Amino acid sequence: MADLGRAALVTSLALALYALLAGAAAAHLRRRRLADSARNALLAAFGSTAVAAIVLAVALLRHDFSFAYVADHTSRSLPWAYTLSAFWGGQEGSLLLWLLILTAYGVAAVLLNRRRADLVAWVVPVVAGVSTFFAFLLVAVASPFQTQIAPVDGAGLTPSLQNPYMVAHPPMLYLGYVGLTIPFAFAMGALLSGRTDERWIVATRRWTLAAWGFLGIGQLLGAHWAYVEVGWGGYYAWDPVENAALMPWLAATAFLHSVMIQEKKGMLKVWNMVLVALAFGLSIFGTFLTRSGVINSIHSFTQGSIGPWFLAFICVVTAFSVAMILWRLPLLRARTRLESPISREAAFLYNNLLLVALCLTILWGVAFPILSEAVRGETLTIGRPYYDFFLRIFGLPLLLLMGLGPLVAWRRQSLRALGSAVLWPAAVALVAGAILLAFGAGSSRPGLIAYTFSAFVLGAIGVEFWRGTAARRALARESWLQAFSSLVARNRRRYGGYVVHAAIVLLAIGIAGSSAYGSTVERKLKPGESLSVAGYDVTYRGLVRRESSNAVEVRAVVDVARGGNRLGTLKVGKNEYPVEETTSNEVGIRTDWTRAEDLFLITDQINKDGSVYFKALVKPLVNLIWLAGVVFLLGSLIALWPDAREARRLAARYADAAAPAEA
Amino acid sequence: MIALAVAMLLAVFLVYTSVAGNGTAQVRPSDLAGHAGVVSLTGRLVAKPTGDAHGAGLHFVVRDVKGGTARVPVVYKGTVPDMLKANSDVTVQGELRNGVFVAKRDTLITKCPSKYQPAKKTSNT
Repeated sequence: MADLGRAALVTSLALALYALLAGAAAAHLRRRRLADSARNALLAAFGSTAVAAIVLAVALLRHDFSFAYVADHTSRSLPWAYTLSAFWGGQEGSLLLWLLILTAYGVAAVLLNRRRADLVAWVVPVVAGVSTFFAFLLVAVASPFQTQIAPVDGAGLTPSLQNPYMVAHPPMLYLGYVGLTIPFAFAMGALLSGRTDERWIVATRRWTLAAWGFLGIGQLLGAHWAYVEVGWGGYYAWDPVENAALMPWLAATAFLHSVMIQEKKGMLKVWNMVLVALAFGLSIFGTFLTRSGVINSIHSFTQGSIGPWFLAFICVVTAFSVAMILWRLPLLRARTRLESPISREAAFLYNNLLLVALCLTILWGVAFPILSEAVRGETLTIGRPYYDFFLRIFGLPLLLLMGLGPLVAWRRQSLRALGSAVLWPAAVALVAGAILLAFGAGSSRPGLIAYTFSAFVLGAIGVEFWRGTAARRALARESWLQAFSSLVARNRRRYGGYVVHAAIVLLAIGIAGSSAYGSTVERKLKPGESLSVAGYDVTYRGLVRRESSNAVEVRAVVDVARGGNRLGTLKVGKNEYPVEETTSNEVGIRTDWTRAEDLFLITDQINKDGSVYFKALVKPLVNLIWLAGVVFLLGSLIALWPDAREARRLAARYADAAAPAEA
Repeated sequence: MIALAVAMLLAVFLVYTSVAGNGTAQVRPSDLAGHAGVVSLTGRLVAKPTGDAHGAGLHFVVRDVKGGTARVPVVYKGTVPDMLKANSDVTVQGELRNGVFVAKRDTLITKCPSKYQPAKKTSNT
């Protein structure tokens, strides 16, 4: 079995290498049949990688501990779903999953664009080049098919990973990370072939959107896991491994916005190339961070042997992208110029600069320990205040722009016209701000600003929907509902985008609420004693112990009341795992939907005398963060949904661009 | 336009670094003696910690993760992460006072030296 897996991977490597070389030669010499052969090699590489993946999956499910990977990451008692999730629980399996997704994406991209042969000619070798790197790692450096004399049982999966979120969260992130390869390949293909018109952007818009959507959802799943499972009361800690997913997402967000300017105005061509290369480079850097252990992270990883390879690959990718862009610089000249600093184009530009600035400051923070080690000889780490500071400095203006952008006219607008456009949203924002101030939200200035800006954005989105619907209704004599739905259906990209904006507003409100207006009380309680936090009375009743198959579960029984009304009982405590010699916090969360807040209880320390050191947090609006995830998904789906009308329009527009190239 | 933005970015950066200062130095137990002020100490626990993190303080001794002979006693108060046991790798912020590393509240983080390479690991921040 292991031999089959190894052979399949060697085959993948050979096919990917062939697709790279033959594809490049074919595209350069314009040999149609050689190009077909390279394309078929890429399709076959997907097939052989799938065989390798099936071998590993079967070995996992059969508990074949002669595979070192299986023995290291699973045990007989592990439920089958977690056994399968061990596929991406370790380094070798993750890399195999990466290669599988990459070749699958490559196949899909090539097949979907088979009528645009000139566009795809260079995509095959670029995707094959990235595949070659991963296949090489899997064959030579980190093989998932190392064999050994089978032990009686495997080492098992760490308890905290035995969680449904951990089954879904890593593959989501991989689908996102790897998805960014396709726009990169099309962009580099456009540079290599010299066809730097907008067709590569049109062909990859949905790829970028899907990859970006997966990254976003994957991160929110990770945040929710941290919130309910890890149990320190937070959901994001600016850890390097978390930042590793945030950075490419920010770069991709900037890219999604700036491509609209290139499509509409033919501007920002160089910038878009830089962004797509940045997003792809950061996705590789993210994998490097999570898998190499080069940076001290609370998500500790062993020092892997793949680190130097990844670093070398990142250098190659960076050098290649920079060289390509510099080489084709004359072809990337803008068709038009920015006419006014008050215009839709300018708003897009500001948004891009802020997003990239945020992304780069995070990158600086992540790389700072390495840089300071190299320059000053000692490792300096940058903590939470650094990131929080920059999130406010760049994030709050971004929030405001999200409301302003859609209201500003294309090309140019006078301040006066802008004033009347923002009148209603600004009024909404001011009223909301005044009300919040009256309710005591002034205790946190960033929080108040975030809320006022959020109200402004929601007002602006509302105005946009209302205006569009009213116009359609007048034009087509439809009912409000009909007009509304046909408005969204006819401009999926635009209105899907607004829905995503609304999701980001919910996210901002949730983050601001839970971090700026939360309260925390810590107290040691004996049975019968209580503490109060933000209006809740928490009374500790006593401890209960229960032994499960692999853990001793200790729970403090706690009564929760508010203003004399008993609200219910929570159980909160710790699981002790005698075999692994670890404990895990099992937090108690009570969600109050009418008050839109969570009561979050942690038993920080359970003493032998039965007293418990409690930490009680009240987190207002934290659930809006999870709700934002649902809205985000909805908006992304609206924007992603195939649109025949749009496809025809674009086909007509770019028919002229493609025609001379064919000749 | 872009040059302007880069300049602005740099300006914000300078303001920040002048206000908040640089990062915290990360040191091993054997390098600790030469460092004054607050540092981030990374080491391996010699034995199981004793004491009460919510009372007089949790006491433990750390050594270098690799090599080194230095042993540094640490006193810590605040939240104790889940994975704490002998041979845990930990990071904790604080400063050396009279030979004892006095930790800042709630800064203890564990790094599990496990070979499982999990995607995420329980810890407190």
